[in-house]
Amino acid sequence: MAATPLLELRGIDKSFGPVQVLHDVGLSIYPGEVTALVGDNGAGKSTLVKCISGIYTIDAGTVTFDGNQVAVNSPRDAAELGIEVVYQDLALCDNLDIVQNMFLGREKKRGLVLDEPTMEQMAGETLASLSVRTVKSLRQLVASLSGGQRQTVAIAKAVLWNSRVVILDEPTAALGVAQTAQVLELVRRLADNGLGVALISHNMNDVFAVSDRIVALYLGRTAAQVKTTDVTHSQVVELITAGRSGTIGLPPEKPAGAAGYTDITPPGADA
Amino acid sequence: MRAAPTQEEVRRHNLGTLLRYIHIHGATSRAELTTRLGLNRSTIGALTADLTAAGLVTEKKEAPLRTGRAGRPSLVVRPESSRVYAYSLTIEVDSLHAARIGLGGRILDRREAPRPRGMQVGDAVQPLASFVHEMRADVPPGSRYVGAGLAIAGMVRRADGMVRLAPTIGWVDEPVGDALVEEIGDVGPMFVANIADVSAMVEHTRGAAAGRDNVIYLYGDVGVGAGIIVGGQRITGHGGYGGEVGHMVVNPDGQPCSCGSRGCWETEIGEYPLLRLAGRGDRSGREAVLAVVDAAMRGDWVAQQAVRQVGEWLGLGVGNLVNIFNPEAVIFGGTLRDVYLVAAAQIRSRLNEVALPACRDEIRLRTPELGRDAALIGAAELAFERLLADPLG
Repeated sequence: MAATPLLELRGIDKSFGPVQVLHDVGLSIYPGEVTALVGDNGAGKSTLVKCISGIYTIDAGTVTFDGNQVAVNSPRDAAELGIEVVYQDLALCDNLDIVQNMFLGREKKRGLVLDEPTMEQMAGETLASLSVRTVKSLRQLVASLSGGQRQTVAIAKAVLWNSRVVILDEPTAALGVAQTAQVLELVRRLADNGLGVALISHNMNDVFAVSDRIVALYLGRTAAQVKTTDVTHSQVVELITAGRSGTIGLPPEKPAGAAGYTDITPPGADA
Repeated sequence: MRAAPTQEEVRRHNLGTLLRYIHIHGATSRAELTTRLGLNRSTIGALTADLTAAGLVTEKKEAPLRTGRAGRPSLVVRPESSRVYAYSLTIEVDSLHAARIGLGGRILDRREAPRPRGMQVGDAVQPLASFVHEMRADVPPGSRYVGAGLAIAGMVRRADGMVRLAPTIGWVDEPVGDALVEEIGDVGPMFVANIADVSAMVEHTRGAAAGRDNVIYLYGDVGVGAGIIVGGQRITGHGGYGGEVGHMVVNPDGQPCSCGSRGCWETEIGEYPLLRLAGRGDRSGREAVLAVVDAAMRGDWVAQQAVRQVGEWLGLGVGNLVNIFNPEAVIFGGTLRDVYLVAAAQIRSRLNEVALPACRDEIRLRTPELGRDAALIGAAELAFERLLADPLG
């Protein structure tokens, strides 16, 4: 397993007006590994992803990519680094076919016209490299695809651009059983092909089935970053719901003050 | 002192190595073969010419669309998948499969029939033989037949392919391979092996465990077997019966097992306990297991409790195997694939409790990449092995 993270976030703070959503958050994504990002609703998972993908700018903290400190100020910056995000709504166009969707906005041209053969071949190769066998024709309209197939196309689209980090937001939500299984195997294969993968999920089975590391967020803080071989299901549930479990996680909360104010000291000696 | 290998032996070895590479990795350019096999350009050229003459591979110039590299495009060598073939048969708990498989592991033709529980050996031989007869009628002229292989969910004696005891299928000491050869006629020797063993082999060469030399492949249906690869070699044991992990006793106070013992692992994680726990003891078969998994994923409480309990026992057994073998990967095949994906939290948690930190630290839990085709491709592999050992022999 890789020793150095491909993407590393440290001390990330993010506020929206008076509300501080992320406090000193850390996250490391390693090549060849699936890092599961878990946390209750409102723990800050989506905000963190939007900070990584350049949709939000961070207030404080550092982002290191491949050992170099980088500034991600826009989605274009993220794409140039090779960071792709697959959102829950997938952002596919129903009225276009699979190839057109995969190249949307980044079409290959030969002279003045679109280079359809090359695009079709690249799309086919990408799907084949992910061992996708469920799609009959690359010229099928996305409207005719099942939920699992759409997810597959969205993931393949993210992989097509030699991306190095792929972030998946709840990829199995709203899928049937057989399709969930296929998507989970696909997520695993992305990492086995050498990409750094982050998986956001509420489903503990999905997390334990494919992840190598688990990062638990609790009320906008990183409660713990652990290896999946070192924790149990109940420990992860405790990290999500209470921010700590035994010796891992955030330090115990002090009794709430008179104003209902609670001081939670963030972890990490280097903070 | 052993004499140095003759030139002829070296050439045969190189031919075998090259054909094996093409067989496993598919179409490969000559340039890549040169780097991968560590042979020089002219040797690769001579070897591919020999293999082409023997009708085992073809060479073609291909315009690379994307490499963008300067220079003359290298010739691409591909296996003659549609011309060189083997027959592959599997006898599984609920189904019989037959396929014609081309060099390179491509399925050219396939047939399938259900196998009612309790079906006798003679009754399985006939449908399989007639599948082969059907497929034989469609073989294009000029094709080259290599051999036949059979994978079976039972214990197989290595020396002669005798199926000794297939508790889940209900046979004792049946010469299934011989019966098939006689029924099919003109088919040559039939290589017989255990289904978990051949699946492990295929996932190891071209699937989820490619490039990993310490692998445990678990195959589950009614019973549970394992193909165990240690240091790149399949462990079969003295008589060929090794890997019967389903009969590892995990619960001495548990249920009686079909083998006569009590509390075997498969009495806790096989199909019957899962269905019983889910309150569906009156059903059987792969579809019934998948229905429980489906119900569990949709939130059916009884089904969830059932897969969780099975997951706990599954994790316990895998933890023990991990301590003994320290594998890089454990692959969950058969219906265990679906159980794994819906009970991974329980399996992983129990595994992490049972296995020693050093043994589990880098463990990869995976599902098969070739799915249910692994058994068929693996059975054909038994037949291809002879060709790969001596391609021009």
